[in-house]
Amino acid sequence: MKWTPLLTAPAAIVLIAPAGATVYMSEQQAMQTIFPGASFSPAGKAGVFRASSGGIVVIDRVLGKHEYIKYAVGITAGGAVKHIEIIEYNESYGYEVREASWRSQFVGKNASSPLQLNVDIKNISGATLSCKHITDGVRRIVGQSQSLKGQ
Amino acid sequence: MRRARPLLGTLVEIEVDGATQAAAERAIAAAFEAVSLVQRLMSFHDADSDVGRINRSAFRTPVTVHPWTARVLRHAEVLHAATDGLFDCAVGHEFIRRGLLPADGLDHVSPGGFGAVRLPADRSVCLTAPVAIDLGGIAKGYAVDRAIATLRAAGIRGATVNAGGDLRVMGDTDQPIYVRIPGGGLLPVGSLRNGAIATSSSLATIDRGGAPHQSPGSPPDRRAYSVVAPSCVVADALTKILVQTGNPRHPCFGSFGATAFISVDDLQSVAA
Repeated sequence: MKWTPLLTAPAAIVLIAPAGATVYMSEQQAMQTIFPGASFSPAGKAGVFRASSGGIVVIDRVLGKHEYIKYAVGITAGGAVKHIEIIEYNESYGYEVREASWRSQFVGKNASSPLQLNVDIKNISGATLSCKHITDGVRRIVGQSQSLKGQ
Repeated sequence: MRRARPLLGTLVEIEVDGATQAAAERAIAAAFEAVSLVQRLMSFHDADSDVGRINRSAFRTPVTVHPWTARVLRHAEVLHAATDGLFDCAVGHEFIRRGLLPADGLDHVSPGGFGAVRLPADRSVCLTAPVAIDLGGIAKGYAVDRAIATLRAAGIRGATVNAGGDLRVMGDTDQPIYVRIPGGGLLPVGSLRNGAIATSSSLATIDRGGAPHQSPGSPPDRRAYSVVAPSCVVADALTKILVQTGNPRHPCFGSFGATAFISVDDLQSVAA
């Protein structure tokens, strides 16, 4: 192990968080990863593709913390989740943007408000929200998978 | 090549360098499978996981567990002893009481600590008191270590595995490391080669006495608590010591070959 600490970091650097999306793979790559070797045809609804080997892939997006997460869910012909891949994860806008969205929770509060973390002010957690929302999204897609398949 | 999947209650990201696309895809798939096995074995929420079975029956009859679960429990035992009980993953009762973990089928659980856990050599686990184990503070780090081991076994020479704040790098180059400040931005803290770093916040930690590590009404703790160590399982577990003690110079860090530091969002304080 070799650890080289950065002993002094200028305060200003915090304000310039690396911005932009992380793209892990294309939609095509995601579909190929989920149903290897299959070919895909549009199933009539936006973001829904039928695999030649049976089953469907749904390209969906959910809100992470502040930004959308684009992901693909594979559903087998039997209606079960086969595989999930994250296609694009948009995190890290600037410090101010994050702050603004958190601060906005304080709008409308008054002296009788508890103003406590986890009481009336939401905790800021790491990726827990992203994953909760992905889970919710998948649950929704699985619930709709019969109608998404068409026919 | 980079891939990500939702596992372990977070987003697990695996990046490998210097391999052909097909080899990288295969290695990454195997690494995700290892992480997902750790999740299946050590989830508190799953009654059929090793942890679920221990919490439901090990007080009455010994429960035989997977070698990986046994390994993590051994790590927990060593850490519990080396930190004078500050690291204790048998405080599940407190998490249940505070509504942070579900109580399904765990009505018999009472307060207690890791002293009630017996680990005989044959991978059977006994509890001498009806405590509940939660490996949430250590299993994620272990999963990252298993992912790295799986990638290495597949012939990968350079890789990064990041599971929501638990990160390990392998390879010949120094990787720049950023720490996410709670409610703030990303802070560059250094570079790491062939090692692990775990970062936690006080919001995610409950101390030994069961109190949340922050009193209600106090302003949010905007500090990130990081530990650098040779393995991610140690780094992950030792962040809990750093949050509880607030002391990067606590002797337990040195005894595990680890370095601890605390970052804040307006200035950075680093102490080895």
